[in-house]
Amino acid sequence: MASFNLYSRGDRIFGYANATLIGLFVLSTLYPFIYLLSVSISSGAAVTSGQVVLLPKDLTLAAYEFVLSDRLFWIAYGNTFIYTFGGTAVSLAIMIPGAYALSRPRLRGRKILNLMVAFTLWFNAGMIPFFLNMRDLGLLDSRFGIIIGFACNAFNVILLRNFFEAVPKSFEEAAKMDGASEFQLLWKVFIPLSKPAIITVALFCIVSRWNSYFWAMVLLRGEEKIPLQLYLKRIIVDLTANDEFASSLLTARYSFETVTAAIMIASIIPVLLIYPSIQKYFNKGITLGGVKE
Amino acid sequence: MSAVELNDVVKRYGALEVVHSVNLNVEQGEFVVLVGPSGCGKSTTLRMVAGLEEISGGTVSIGGRLVNRVAPKDRDVAMVFQNYALYPHLNVAENIAFGLRVRREKKDVIDAAVKEAAAILDLTPYLARKPADLSGGQRQRVAMGRAIVRKPQVFLFDEPLSNLDAKLRTQMRAEIKRLHKRMGVTSIYVTHDQIEAMTLADRIVVMNGGRVEQVGSPMELFLKPANAFVASFLGSPPMNLLRATVVSMDGEPRARIDAADAEAAVLKLPRASSASLRADQRILVGLRPEHVAVGMDASADVQEIAATVDLVEPLGSEALLHTRISGQSIVAKIETPADVETLLQIGRLQIPVGRLHVFDAESGRAVNGHA
Repeated sequence: MASFNLYSRGDRIFGYANATLIGLFVLSTLYPFIYLLSVSISSGAAVTSGQVVLLPKDLTLAAYEFVLSDRLFWIAYGNTFIYTFGGTAVSLAIMIPGAYALSRPRLRGRKILNLMVAFTLWFNAGMIPFFLNMRDLGLLDSRFGIIIGFACNAFNVILLRNFFEAVPKSFEEAAKMDGASEFQLLWKVFIPLSKPAIITVALFCIVSRWNSYFWAMVLLRGEEKIPLQLYLKRIIVDLTANDEFASSLLTARYSFETVTAAIMIASIIPVLLIYPSIQKYFNKGITLGGVKE
Repeated sequence: MSAVELNDVVKRYGALEVVHSVNLNVEQGEFVVLVGPSGCGKSTTLRMVAGLEEISGGTVSIGGRLVNRVAPKDRDVAMVFQNYALYPHLNVAENIAFGLRVRREKKDVIDAAVKEAAAILDLTPYLARKPADLSGGQRQRVAMGRAIVRKPQVFLFDEPLSNLDAKLRTQMRAEIKRLHKRMGVTSIYVTHDQIEAMTLADRIVVMNGGRVEQVGSPMELFLKPANAFVASFLGSPPMNLLRATVVSMDGEPRARIDAADAEAAVLKLPRASSASLRADQRILVGLRPEHVAVGMDASADVQEIAATVDLVEPLGSEALLHTRISGQSIVAKIETPADVETLLQIGRLQIPVGRLHVFDAESGRAVNGHA
């Protein structure tokens, strides 16, 4: 029997080119992680002298010992957890009912309300008015301010709204016939049915809050409230100007670079742990709203 | 007191009126089927009874209580939807129990009700399964379980069998009928399938264009259709309708079949309609396919007519003959058929005069005293 090749030569070349490009892209995104990890567990001298390019040199956990023994690191870590998980919970508690209401055709002024939400995607008041607003509301230097000030995100609300709109009407009608109240309808029908969308939005919130830096720097004063990213910034800025730290480098096996690398590795571990378990929802969720089933 | 009463019920979407002044009384324990083509307003009417559509005009009463402004959950009705509307995140038991849970019934009451419903519907082995793990028929039974567990005054069915294949539909039809016999709950059932309507209904309501065309028992509608629409809607294959003009022969009105390029056949008409006909009146002569005969002797009550057979569709114990009389199509359903070649040679059909229906061509109304 004559052999039959399903793919033409052009198809095969295209496949190889694709695989090569994707491989290069994966390497380029993976390299910073590997480099940071290698730096964090190498000796300060090896890093400073430029010997660490990919793999660690003179293995040591001195940088981690330095970071983990710093009280402020643990405070910042705790704050980041509060801002991230507390903030995500508050965001969902606000955005889910909001998106649900916006998805209901019977909502009076629905069109204008949706337009107002979408408007904030393209335009916002700007940094200074927002700062003044937070100040006037007494939310400066406050953990609650960081949580509530960024609780609602128009993109996420629209994402959830689109998903709620795509839930077949008969589910709502059946629940209403069964006697469900509006809250029961949301809690017992829409939220369980929208799990992929909600998990995706939760992941967006977690990642953005975990990495939040700028507004924490603008709004927070006290050291006791800073998140991890701000702590990292302080280490980078402050340690370079800290004579005591500079003199300790003469004896210690860590350096400025290894310490910052250790903090960065420590700060990405929780996100790295969470992501694989919800990746399937994330993949499903980023295509939400594109098509109606 | 009727279980459900619709008085001059109207539905409008803006300026567009889709249901026009529907009147219907459904008696206690009765199984009423609303049937009609797509877009005839049957589902909208049912949804107005359910409370899922606002009523633009007229009144709906359930158990003697006006419910125009009553929320669906307070109408004491349960509905089975076309797409089942089973919650995919809940298992069968939780789906059945949903209505009782949201009404905060006690747990032991819920458990007992779910068990009872599951036993009635043969769902006991599947209680822990999710809807995705069930067949279409099982899902439909769960949807019914969710309805019966609440013990409502009225069951509403919105084309519940449309998503099932033909075999399953026949099975489920019988199950619905059995369930109704067992529970005796007043039921309103919407379908576009006339066989479902004929087999399930105590009474059928035929709708068309947002209006009720006729209400009656299945056989009443089948044998005495009030108009050409009802006549052609019920029956499979549908009733043949031949365009004709009334002519007078031997002092009696006859129907001269319209023929463009062929010789016009003339049919005798039943006595019951003769008195109401006038010369030159445009009419439709109706004849059910199963009433057309082959190989019968002509007599005073049976007239023979020349026909050409275009096509034969053998169905096993019977066959459908697609024929032409005076250039117009007519389908005959013949029992104990001969082989196809023999049937194709048939040149004449026998038509029992008493089986003919006569409708006014303009209004479509029956003129043989069946209205």
